[in-house]
Amino acid sequence: MNVLRRSRRREPEPLRPVVFRWDLDKTYLKSAFDSLRGLVRIPFEKPQDKITVPGVVPLIRGLRNVANQRGREVRIYFISASPPQIAKAIKEKLALDGIEYDGIVFKNQLQHLVRGKFRNLREHVGYKLTELLKSRREMPVGSQEVLFGDDWESDPIIYSLYADILAGRVGAAALDGILGTIGVDPLLITTAKALAAEVSPAEVVRKIYINIERRTPPTSFRSFGARLVPSFNYFQTAVCLFDDGQLTLPAVVEVATGLINDASYTPNRLANSLADVVRRGHLQEPSAIAVREYLAARGLLPPRRRDGVRPSLWDRLVRWLRTQPNPPPPSEVAINYETLVTEWRAAR
Amino acid sequence: MPTIAIDAMGGDLAPDEVVKGVAQVSLDTDIQCVLVGDEAQVQAILDGLAYNPEQISIQHTAESIGMAEDPKTAVRHKRNASILVAARLVADGQAEALVTAGNTGAAVLACAQHFKLIRGVRKAALASVYPRQTEYPGQDQLALLLDVGATIRCDATDLVQFALMGNAYARRISKVPSPRVALINMGSEESKGGEVLTHAYRQLKTIGGVNFIGNIEGNDLAKGKADVIVCEGLLGNVVLKLLEGLAEVVADLAGTAARENWRWKLGLMMLASGFGRLRDMTDYAAYGGAPILGFEHLLIKSHGRSNARAITNAIKVAAKAVRDGVTREIAAAIEQL
Repeated sequence: MNVLRRSRRREPEPLRPVVFRWDLDKTYLKSAFDSLRGLVRIPFEKPQDKITVPGVVPLIRGLRNVANQRGREVRIYFISASPPQIAKAIKEKLALDGIEYDGIVFKNQLQHLVRGKFRNLREHVGYKLTELLKSRREMPVGSQEVLFGDDWESDPIIYSLYADILAGRVGAAALDGILGTIGVDPLLITTAKALAAEVSPAEVVRKIYINIERRTPPTSFRSFGARLVPSFNYFQTAVCLFDDGQLTLPAVVEVATGLINDASYTPNRLANSLADVVRRGHLQEPSAIAVREYLAARGLLPPRRRDGVRPSLWDRLVRWLRTQPNPPPPSEVAINYETLVTEWRAAR
Repeated sequence: MPTIAIDAMGGDLAPDEVVKGVAQVSLDTDIQCVLVGDEAQVQAILDGLAYNPEQISIQHTAESIGMAEDPKTAVRHKRNASILVAARLVADGQAEALVTAGNTGAAVLACAQHFKLIRGVRKAALASVYPRQTEYPGQDQLALLLDVGATIRCDATDLVQFALMGNAYARRISKVPSPRVALINMGSEESKGGEVLTHAYRQLKTIGGVNFIGNIEGNDLAKGKADVIVCEGLLGNVVLKLLEGLAEVVADLAGTAARENWRWKLGLMMLASGFGRLRDMTDYAAYGGAPILGFEHLLIKSHGRSNARAITNAIKVAAKAVRDGVTREIAAAIEQL
């Protein structure tokens, strides 16, 4: 009961609409575009052959259910850099998974091919940013957004840029320079600048979750600030969303159960993931305790064990007098996009 | 998937290289690793690496034992030193084996304090592996020498037990089906070396399942005559240090020669690829570490200067020993004695 009470206390403004935006490849689907063979196979894959990233389906379902239970308006969108030719298979896959969504966009690669803009085939920043900004115009007034991507291409840059444009921290002039450095098509830069100019500044993006699919070291994301949470699996994402008030503990249980039943996770692996996200400062200790107690009671996390440390009487007294401090949360930083783009690209 | 406790703070290059080694293990294998050490320091290193957090846990402890510290004093005063906490985790069943590149004396004492000896085993033995010539196809490039310092003096039964322990370890880890086991002595004849060695010789000759080839002399150590070489701790330690010292002297001499005479330098340069191959063969990082045998749990002691690769290999060796039931095999062999 205690645990549930604690989780209820953290709920932020329950009636403010929320938008969850998902990248598709490597975030929702385990697309194998890193190999030529995988890339060639994608267009011919049947919906039932497409594999989702472990834990993503119960997580998306949980986000919608929790919002609905609270009477909160919720929208879920997908954005993909894949061509519309595979849209049918993708939509069927989402239906098979029981995912209700409000919109999905694909990149018209054929158009770029016909116009001879081969560079645009691989460059997604301009495309995704303009699509996000266009879509934002249709969102409910005052709605908040939570964004989900991966570390394969430029999702951290695109999402951070989108968040800062909406917040009014990146203006049209700055955007021109940043997108120019990235090598975005001049036509798309003009569109993005026009869309950015329409924005009424507000803090819209609560969090950006980046699925570390490529095993990028966590320090590589430090320059993106505390808003961006790099997570190694969807259990880590789920517990952070619980901490942020977007999920309840029963919804976290659904994600954990999905990982154990469908992806051979063990309670030990989940416990290690939980400890890791706490150590990295993305989850506060009270939330971690709540998750630990709730999931351990359901056999999804191992019971607490002896730690092998034998504190002296003095150590115990000191610990009793002074509760363990939380790790410092990652600092909120003003992003220097020019430097960040260069560094991020160099590391790819 | 075995769980291995790793002393994150032990070794000349700890914790950086130890954590790097563990991060690599988490990406390459299904081994669960418990890093024991300063949590903030360990996490700060992990943050800069590619790793799989699902396979790594950190057990925080602020204390550690330095390489130059007196093991007895340090173990007595630093109750929560990383090596001791790691040993406790293994003793409590939270990990199945321990890897450390830290202070050897402290590692032996940590085992003695927290691990039980296998039923029937009278003394534990610290083993070491060293490169040597090979004599037959499929023979391991490395020979196992034990004991190299856990004991000082031993009687015949101790030596026989060491032979059985070394035999089991070599069979499982080196995958040599029937390792050649020998005693170091001052002559190859059965009657040489005094009462202890003569008695041990006679006992080993009669034990089934051990390919005992008799005594070998010091000049046979570098040849491939035996795969498991047994001796008491005092002698083993002298032999080990002599081998290490000789290698250093040879390297020094070559360096001096190259500096003093351009023809020698040219000659050495022509032999460079051969030296490179020799270096690869004798690279301690490739074998990871050597075990302390005789306890119910296994400790793999890595070289004090272990880099990430050595730590990775030591963890893999420990996991392999757990999977293959090395301690069970030793217990079975001792029971038959």
